[in-house]
Amino acid sequence: MTDWLGMIPNPREPRPELRARVLARATRPESRARRWGWLAAAAVVAIALGGGAGYWTRATIVALSAQRDRLAAELAAVRDTLGFVRGPATRVAWVPVTTNGRLGGVTIFADSAARRWLVRCEGMAPNEPNETYQIWFVTEGGLRRAAVMTMDEEQATVMAMAFDVPDDVGPVTGAAMSIEPRVAADSAAPRGPMVFHLRL
Amino acid sequence: MAELYDALGPWVFGLASRILRDDAEAEEVLGDVFVQVWARIHQHEPSRGPLVPWVLSIARNRSLDALRRRRRWWRKADRWGAAQRLEDDGAVPVPDPAEAAVPGWPVHQEVHAALAALPADQRRVVLLAYFEGLTHSEIARRTGQPLGTVKTRLRIAHGKLAEALKHVKDWLR
Repeated sequence: MTDWLGMIPNPREPRPELRARVLARATRPESRARRWGWLAAAAVVAIALGGGAGYWTRATIVALSAQRDRLAAELAAVRDTLGFVRGPATRVAWVPVTTNGRLGGVTIFADSAARRWLVRCEGMAPNEPNETYQIWFVTEGGLRRAAVMTMDEEQATVMAMAFDVPDDVGPVTGAAMSIEPRVAADSAAPRGPMVFHLRL
Repeated sequence: MAELYDALGPWVFGLASRILRDDAEAEEVLGDVFVQVWARIHQHEPSRGPLVPWVLSIARNRSLDALRRRRRWWRKADRWGAAQRLEDDGAVPVPDPAEAAVPGWPVHQEVHAALAALPADQRRVVLLAYFEGLTHSEIARRTGQPLGTVKTRLRIAHGKLAEALKHVKDWLR
C-alpha cells in the first residue's frame, strides 16, 4: 500500500549516458562472482588473521608458562637455600679438601630440624671416568649413604646439591666423603679412599 | 533488465532525487538500486506483492541510507531547508505534465489523488515518514505534536491510502 508512495515524486529521466553504465554494472557477470570473491577473500584473510593471532597467542602463552615455571623453580631454589641459612637448627661446616693435588673445599649446611642438607663443593678435582664422589651421613650406627656428587671434566668447579636426611637415618653427627667406583656408588659402606670425615 | 530500467529508471531517479535533493547522489543510488534489483530479482515473489513497489522500496531505503550517512550536509543545508519549508506544510507535490509520457503516469496520478485526499495533518506525517525516514518520535518533535497523535495520524492515513490504492496493480508487463 504505502509502497506506492514511491510513485509520489515526479519521474525524472536520468542522464542518457547513465543507462549503459547502470545496465553494465548491474548485469556484469562477475559482479556477483566478484562480490563472492571479495567475501571469500575477506573470509580467508579473517581466518588467517584469526589463526595467526591464535597461534601467536598460544605460542606466547606456552613461552610465558615455561618462563613462569623456570622462575618459580629458581625462586623455590633460592627460598630453599635461604631456608638453610636462616634456619635456627642449621649448622654450617667447612672443610678443606685436597683431591688429586688440587686444593678445594666443601661447605655443608645441615638443618637438623628440617632434616635437609645443602652441600657445596668447590675447587675439587674432576672424577676419573669410573669414579664419583660419595657423601655419607655419620651416625651412631656408622656411615649411611647420603648423595653422589660426580664432577666431570666439563663441569664447573663449583657444585651444590640439596637433599633430605631419610627418616630411617638416625641422629646425624657428622659428614664424610669418599671416592667410589661409579658402578658401586650404591654400596652401603665406603669402598674407596676417604676425602674427609668431620663432626658437625 | 534494459526494459526494467527504461520503465522504472525515471521513477527511481525521481524518488532518489526527491529524498536526497542531490542529482549526483541520486545517480549513485540509481545504479545501486538496479544492481541490487538484478542481484535479488529471483527473491521477488509476485504472490507477495507487485514488482514496482518492491523496486521503489529498495530505492527509498538506499536513498535514506545515503541521506543518513551524508557527510556534506552543511553544503546542502540551504537547499535542503528551502525544500523542507515548501513541503513540510503538507502541500501535495505538483506533477509535471511534461513527464506524463513516462510509463506509470496513471499510477502516479492515482497515488497523488489518494495522498491529496488525506487531511493536511495526516498527509504531512506520511510525507515526513516516507521521504525523510523520520521515526514517530522525530516526527513528533518536528511537528510539535504529541507522539500519540503522530502515531494515530499515521495509522489512519495508512489505512486510507491502503483502501484508496488497493486496486492499483503493477503497470509493468
